[in-house]
Amino acid sequence: MAQYDLIVIGSGPGGYIAAQRAGTLGKKVLLIEKEHYGGVCTNKGCIPTKSLLNSAKTYDHAKNGSFIGVEAKGIAFNLKSAMVHKQDTVETLRGGIEFLMKSANVETVFGEAKALDAHRVEVNGTVYECSYLIIATGSSAFVPPIPGSDLPHVLTSDEILEIESLPSELVVIGGGVIGVEFASFFSMVGVKVTVIEMLDEILPMADAEFGKLARRAMKDVTFNLGCKVEKITEKSVIYTDAKGERKELAAEKILMSVGRRPNIGGLEALGLKIEKGAVVVDEQMRTSLPTVYAIGDVNGKSLLAHSASRMADVAVSTIFGKGMKMRYDAIPWVVYSNPEIAGCGLTEAQAKERGYEVLVHTAQGRQSGRFLAEQGKRAPGMIKVVADKESGVILGVHLLGPYSSEIIWGVAALLEAELRIQDVKEIVFPHPSVSELLKDAVFALDSSL
Amino acid sequence: MAEQVLMPKQGNTVESCIIVEWNVNVGDKVEVGDILLSAETDKSTIDVESTAAGVVLARLWEEGDDVPVMEPILIVGKEGESFEIQQPGKEEKSVQAGEPAAAREEPKKISAPVSSAPAAGGSTPRARMLSEQLGIPLSAATPTGPKGRIVEKDVRALAGAPLSPAAKAQALKEGVVPPSVGSGMGGRVLARDLIKTPARVVVDLDVHTDHPVRGIRKVIARRMVESLRTTSQLSLHGWADARALKALRAAFKEDEETSGITIGDLVNFAVVRTLTEFPAFNAHYLGETIRRFEHVHLGVATDTERGLMVPVLFGSDLMSLKELSAQTKVLAARARDGVAQPDELAGSTFTVSNVGSFGIEAFTPVLNIPEVAILGVGTIVLKPVSTKNGVEFIDHIGLSLTMDHQAVDGADAARFMRALIDRIATLDRLLIRMGSNGTV
Repeated sequence: MAQYDLIVIGSGPGGYIAAQRAGTLGKKVLLIEKEHYGGVCTNKGCIPTKSLLNSAKTYDHAKNGSFIGVEAKGIAFNLKSAMVHKQDTVETLRGGIEFLMKSANVETVFGEAKALDAHRVEVNGTVYECSYLIIATGSSAFVPPIPGSDLPHVLTSDEILEIESLPSELVVIGGGVIGVEFASFFSMVGVKVTVIEMLDEILPMADAEFGKLARRAMKDVTFNLGCKVEKITEKSVIYTDAKGERKELAAEKILMSVGRRPNIGGLEALGLKIEKGAVVVDEQMRTSLPTVYAIGDVNGKSLLAHSASRMADVAVSTIFGKGMKMRYDAIPWVVYSNPEIAGCGLTEAQAKERGYEVLVHTAQGRQSGRFLAEQGKRAPGMIKVVADKESGVILGVHLLGPYSSEIIWGVAALLEAELRIQDVKEIVFPHPSVSELLKDAVFALDSSL
Repeated sequence: MAEQVLMPKQGNTVESCIIVEWNVNVGDKVEVGDILLSAETDKSTIDVESTAAGVVLARLWEEGDDVPVMEPILIVGKEGESFEIQQPGKEEKSVQAGEPAAAREEPKKISAPVSSAPAAGGSTPRARMLSEQLGIPLSAATPTGPKGRIVEKDVRALAGAPLSPAAKAQALKEGVVPPSVGSGMGGRVLARDLIKTPARVVVDLDVHTDHPVRGIRKVIARRMVESLRTTSQLSLHGWADARALKALRAAFKEDEETSGITIGDLVNFAVVRTLTEFPAFNAHYLGETIRRFEHVHLGVATDTERGLMVPVLFGSDLMSLKELSAQTKVLAARARDGVAQPDELAGSTFTVSNVGSFGIEAFTPVLNIPEVAILGVGTIVLKPVSTKNGVEFIDHIGLSLTMDHQAVDGADAARFMRALIDRIATLDRLLIRMGSNGTV
């Protein structure tokens, strides 16, 4: 039996970061992975979807570039090649993680982990002992018990990434981030896509204006809002629409993207406190056991890869160092659809709910020189800035348009720094850039110097 | 020819008066009859009138001085006239016109600043600049500069992790001292961290007010110390069944003529009756002799704005309950209004101090010398008593007798208390015996 300072279960963006950080501190670390380095993010989530979305966007730009003088003929989307590139990307990144683990002297064992108690984990019949345990087992796509949901053409995000040919029509059940990204991908490559969403708007974490604009921007996708799926047959999806009428929609493939559930299997012996299917943690990622921590999707706090990585820092620093605390107010989110949508901080509605008297400014993308030059007058683009009227503190920023994913970290930085309108006005933005929309928006909120 | 104005004689027992306040200054013109000053005897406050007309040439005493009666207090004459001051115990001296007659200091101004504002010394510009920069309110700094000024290092001493712009603005606006570490990036202090840290109210712990001990307070102080120094005080505590007191009070309340008779009056009445049977307690201890009095002159300790006063019910043993009650009220009111004459406040042979209305059960009253004893009366409480019906809860009134062991012994005091307790418990029967319904 080997003795480790730390055992990490799961090598996703939470687990491998935790292992790497602790290993770099000189701790003896064991990382347990049941399949591939990188978890859902690298293998079945963030990375492969970005690869495929980029292929589709390039295809889409080529097809629709005539207004800027690009006339492409005979272009085609080759799913097989796109999948090869996707797989190459995934495997390269796995290799990168493997290299990182070696550099940090992290040992890895592949297999299903079973926690025996707070200090012992069994993998492939071997028991490993540790002083501290970090659970980073992630989450899995949730398939609701709708009649027919077990039919072979009903896919989750895991399986749809492995398809070998494009369906003629795809029905996406669930209009969250995953559903919208796949809808965007398949519609760009010529698949007839319909999204069925139970709520009144897609992308529930976004300001409602952005959901609406995203639907308009994804003009080839049909969105059926306020609809409840009743049954799935071999050829169709049967649902009740917002008016209560029963509808049937033909579907060759169906993507089930209604949400994800924490993976808490193999942890039963620990007797951890579990609420709503997730491991309960405090702001330093401690579970109900003092030496056991849980980071990433498994604690249900924020199901985003970058949240998991930050939680890894917080947990490792709490175990071995200065004891950081997790802050959730400035975690950016991005939908890598075409166009991209990103946000950080509070929506206008959330700010009002919390009792803020808000200042709000919304601006169109075409106000930016670069946006106009590259996208043209008709392209959808928007920024919305929400600030506290009393203090001037920026509470949240939402973006829709190209580069939103790369601009939003700046919003996270200014929220973390608790900057006010008057402070942001002192920041110099590069010109021309789409990010200048933010600068224009804060001056629109307060034009004084 | 300059004239002297004397401190007038106040009754037969007053030997000196304390000047509370001068109404005239050197150089003022006064007429005969003008009020020169107010003074306190050990029992009351008096106004002293001028017996001469002219210009005030000198004030011979200061506020707070204890001036023997018939001593000169003021020189009145023509402007510029020279005069001689003669004061007991002080060297005779001649004062020339124009020279300040009394070169004594004005009484020091007593001020009591209570403020949470920064120290009166202010702050240096550099301290103010740093305060703005760091978001540390000046009110939080402990001044170490000359004359209590806040200097730069006093502000820097409070600096911790950097504040976010919003936190800085809020800290300065609300005067909140930021915590040294916040919840933001790298421990940066965010606005929400300030909410958790209540503003440290800067309190000057050395704030106090000085009140000169003078007037009645000075008299009380002197007499109390003298009492404890010159006597051998011993206190006994007991409880008297108060059912008769309460029943009588309830009955008297119904009749307009007797409605003013209080429980205190009833206790006093019982005390007077008991004293007539215990002449050793109705006495003065005079060192060489013990003077027993034929009649009971009951002192009734009275709480007034100016301090404790003890008006005297002369011949209280000759009074009916109604008379005793009425007299007590009149004298207490005069003491409270400050109009009691010195002679009304001296000559008691036994004193009662009643603090029952404050809920006090027992205490050790201090002898009103040269009296031999003083009775403290407490509140009425329920006490469990074993009776033939089992344990009953019965109203009892607290009694505390302090006696001078020089004059009487503990057993004497115990006997006196026993008699008083019995008398209070059976006061209804006593009154019936003496003539019904308290009209005795």
